Amino acid sequence: MLNYTIRRLFFVLFVVWGVSLATFFISQVVPGDPALVALGDKATDEMIANFRTKNGLDQPVVTQYFTYLGRLLKGDLGTSLRTGRPILDDLRDFFPGTLELSATALFIAALIGIPAGVLAALTQNKAPDIIVRLMALLGGATPIYWLAILLLEFLHNKLRLLPGPGRLDAYLIAPPRVTGFVGIDALIARDWEVFTDSLAHLILPAFVLGAFSSALLARMTRAAMLETMSQDYIRTAKAKGIAQSRVVIKHALRNAFLPVLTVLGGVLGGLLSGAVLTETIFSWPGVGRYTTDAAISLDFPAVMGVTLLAGMAYSLINLVTDLLYALFDPRITYA
Amino acid sequence: MRKRIGAVALLGIGLLAVSMAQNSRSSTLVYGGDFSDLISLDPGISYEFSGGLVTDNLYETLVKFEGEDLSTLKPGIAARWVVKDAGSSWKVTFNLASKKFASGNPVTAADVVYTFDRAIALKGNGSFLFDEVANMKIGSTKALGRSTVEVTLPKTASPAAFLNLLTFNIGGIVDSILVKSKAVGNDYGSEWLKRNSAGSGAFVLNRWDQNQQVVLDANPNSSLKAKLSRVILREMKEANTQKIALESGEIDIAENLTPDMVKAKATDAKFNVYKADSLRLQYLGMNTGTGSQFEDARVRQAVRWALDQDSMVNVLAGGNARKVQTIIPAGLFGFNASNPYSVNVEKAKGLLAAAGKPNGFEFEMLVPQGSCAAGVPCADLAAKIQSDLGKIGLKANIKQIVQSELLGIYRAQKAQMVLVGWSPDFPDPDGNATPMSDYGAKSLAWRNAWNNATASKLAQQAALEPNPAKRAALYKQLTELHLEEGPFAILYQPKVPVTLSTSVKGYLRNAQGQVRFEKISK
Amino acid sequence: MLSAVEAPKKQASKASKRFWRNPASIIGVVLLGLLLLIAVLATVISPDPIVQDLGQRLLPPSSQHLLGTDQLGRSVWGRVAHGASLSLQVGVVVTLISVTVGVLVGLLAGTFGGVWDNVLMRITDIFFAFPSLILAMAIAAALGPSLTNTIIAVAIVSWPSYARLVRAQAMALREREFVEAARAIGTSQISIAIRHVFPNTLTPVLIQASFDVGQAILTAAGLSFIGFGAQPPTPEWGAMVSETRNFISEAPWASSAPAIAILLAVLAFNLVGDGLRDALDPRNTR
Repeated sequence: MLNYTIRRLFFVLFVVWGVSLATFFISQVVPGDPALVALGDKATDEMIANFRTKNGLDQPVVTQYFTYLGRLLKGDLGTSLRTGRPILDDLRDFFPGTLELSATALFIAALIGIPAGVLAALTQNKAPDIIVRLMALLGGATPIYWLAILLLEFLHNKLRLLPGPGRLDAYLIAPPRVTGFVGIDALIARDWEVFTDSLAHLILPAFVLGAFSSALLARMTRAAMLETMSQDYIRTAKAKGIAQSRVVIKHALRNAFLPVLTVLGGVLGGLLSGAVLTETIFSWPGVGRYTTDAAISLDFPAVMGVTLLAGMAYSLINLVTDLLYALFDPRITYA
Repeated sequence: MRKRIGAVALLGIGLLAVSMAQNSRSSTLVYGGDFSDLISLDPGISYEFSGGLVTDNLYETLVKFEGEDLSTLKPGIAARWVVKDAGSSWKVTFNLASKKFASGNPVTAADVVYTFDRAIALKGNGSFLFDEVANMKIGSTKALGRSTVEVTLPKTASPAAFLNLLTFNIGGIVDSILVKSKAVGNDYGSEWLKRNSAGSGAFVLNRWDQNQQVVLDANPNSSLKAKLSRVILREMKEANTQKIALESGEIDIAENLTPDMVKAKATDAKFNVYKADSLRLQYLGMNTGTGSQFEDARVRQAVRWALDQDSMVNVLAGGNARKVQTIIPAGLFGFNASNPYSVNVEKAKGLLAAAGKPNGFEFEMLVPQGSCAAGVPCADLAAKIQSDLGKIGLKANIKQIVQSELLGIYRAQKAQMVLVGWSPDFPDPDGNATPMSDYGAKSLAWRNAWNNATASKLAQQAALEPNPAKRAALYKQLTELHLEEGPFAILYQPKVPVTLSTSVKGYLRNAQGQVRFEKISK
Repeated sequence: MLSAVEAPKKQASKASKRFWRNPASIIGVVLLGLLLLIAVLATVISPDPIVQDLGQRLLPPSSQHLLGTDQLGRSVWGRVAHGASLSLQVGVVVTLISVTVGVLVGLLAGTFGGVWDNVLMRITDIFFAFPSLILAMAIAAALGPSLTNTIIAVAIVSWPSYARLVRAQAMALREREFVEAARAIGTSQISIAIRHVFPNTLTPVLIQASFDVGQAILTAAGLSFIGFGAQPPTPEWGAMVSETRNFISEAPWASSAPAIAILLAVLAFNLVGDGLRDALDPRNTR
């Protein structure tokens, strides 16, 4: 197990290197001049030339790549052309927002998706099952940005049920930054008003972001449950007269957990993609919006930084799910 | 069942939060807008619009404009100032009023010297105003005693232009004692000043959360007494988000509503619409280089006869713009109000035929992403232009690209047609006339490969002409030349419609986008 | 999975029966047929999508304007209908490219194994590690916005799943008797890959592909929504939602019509995919 983990960690490093190479390649074909991205319309030729020298843009591509790689090894992701700050500092500011949102989305997705899937499996081909399947189909096909616009218009603007865009009400001042997670910082500062307000602001965007995942989870849970329920030992248990609910909980759910766990890893990756669209519409200060803003202004160092960290996070999440898989399923061992 | 209880509880939290937030909002103003271009709050570095909006309220300048007026300079930190002709140079002397920085330090001549030299040394995006427009160098500014400053300018610079550009945020005087104490290495404290303030303005910076909000608190040490205790600039990129927030009372001012939203709000008793002036011009640039489709001036005239500017102004911009066809915007000296062109398809086709292109031609029109002037989505404006030009047989293929990529192509003279905007750097006709006319200035005329010796000469002459009547005559000549032969088709000059809740009083915004928060009450 | 040795005809007819007995797949096919019909007949059954009439802006649906008009007075129905062929093309072309590349890579890796397998699958792993929309956005930004570049960007992020799928199939088949028999009589690796392995990967690839057309439509529309897609005034659905989103209160039809069109198109392919899987892969029946 330890050997396996170490090997996998090396693999993560390899993947991150590959991602860095790929993004560097993409950044080389970008049509915009980084100097113009940073300096804007009124830049003089002299300013542009200075910028190029200062940032090594006048060096051959290979040199540029090794400089880039060298900086990466020192943990320096470079400087954003748009904000003029170290990318790591920018991400430190924006990452908690996305994590907060994604974690809540995942929580909501599991809260809706897994029970719905169980319910559907237990009532196969009856009304609840059909409704769940229909919702899951719709959830998997709805453009997330439209759902966002629609819910914002009706639940927030028309009905005033939930707070709208942003992380906090404008009149509330966020507590001093400790972790960067507004909710946690509010708890530390014992600011209950901010705490509840930040939770309330999470509901709508997290639901939108989690909609696709909850559809996926409902489908997977249902399928996995049906699969295990059709297996011999469950049939035996049923025949022995053990009450249906106990059978379901004890055996089926436990076995169905594994395939669901696999999806969960993928879901986390999907959430970051979804965050790109959700954060834009909800004015949410997160990595998704940061990346969109960066891409739109051709701030490629920033895009590369985000992609690199996301690739690393994704590989690590996969590693963790694989290890969890082994933990939950004694039949699987890793050498 | 448990799930339902959970959902109800969540909704409950939501309602609670909405109601609780209604309380603490007496003397706080929340200003909603797209402040995503904010990259630094250092007055010596910031050159972007949002940066100006904030720093104008954190720092005071030697001289300033008040209200909407851009023609009379009023005392700021300087109580009096004199311009003297010293033969080979200009000497501008300022006598400072007695003021204090937020830190309690007095404002002295040393602070002015430090501020100006610092801005030149930092080479920020706005530093060209000092070193290129005013031809200043480090050392041009000298302290003559504790409260007198003298700036020496070469005769190539215009003292009037210099005084004008002092009203920009780059002229915001910083607390040199405080800033020097925060300097790291050679950075003149710019890393610290990015996110902190050290001025004598009506407000001090409380905090800036990037992409979220800027919080300003009233500065008790300032001579400018703010009526509000706090101003929060809330970043909201989406027009619809701003609209929703304005309606729910979460923000008091919305800056980027679409023309249709503004129209709806104008008839709503709960809101006022304030239409600020702007010196921006939205225009089409046509490449006149040899071999280009637009080389022949008659083709460019045909384009002007095809454009339905009235619809752009009245429908797309919702009336929040002015129809303009000459290169100097209304509100500046030398503005030429003549609008000789109107939609005339026959005339346009005739001109195309005379230019040897009776069947029209196909070309690429570069369009930036996002919004064009007056909040019109560039995609919509481009589609309208494409439709207008189609009527005279010109087929425009729209290529909507990122601003910096567009600039790269435009600046390399490689664009066929561009749909972009231009604002003068300071409120003087020369801010448009030289870049748009003088090929040698390597600006807009150059980008469109328009090398017209007469135009270059007229622009250069007009810039330095001290006699107003003569200067006006030169600009009349220049704008008329542009109407006939120029590489531009000016589309409109936008207004900046700002929608305010009726409780907001005292909001004024000049054509440079400056808003004095201390005058606003709620 | 299926094996080429079993009587293929009988199996196909069984599968087809299962497919057509499934109401979900029938709905999917009907939706898809409708979409195709609209795409083909767009110019006949709907007004011009480009022509503006600024005097007829943001009109609600009526007998004259089936789905109302947008902010430039263009017919929303005309734009949605003309957008159908674009979105279908994007979905299909993306899937064709990614299937071709993915199957090729998977076959090479799975049949030859060894170094090939290692190199190709590691490349695949790298592509898997990207968050798809962010990579697609980066590529689209680098190439410049256009529908062709959107297709390329989405294809680049979607091929790796086919490579993995086909490789797994090929690895499994390597041990099977008929493949070993072919190898024993001296058939070359390439011809084994083409004649024996490839046909056997078709079923899972087909199932995956039918889902992916829908996903490709969704991703491409998402890119267009952010501004990395079709150029104006192209009636691309994602771009239409984006252009009209600020009118959601006054003219909800303008943004909802293209959004619902996206939803239905994706739904159609998902339903067909579900139906195909249930029919072709009976062990996986839900």
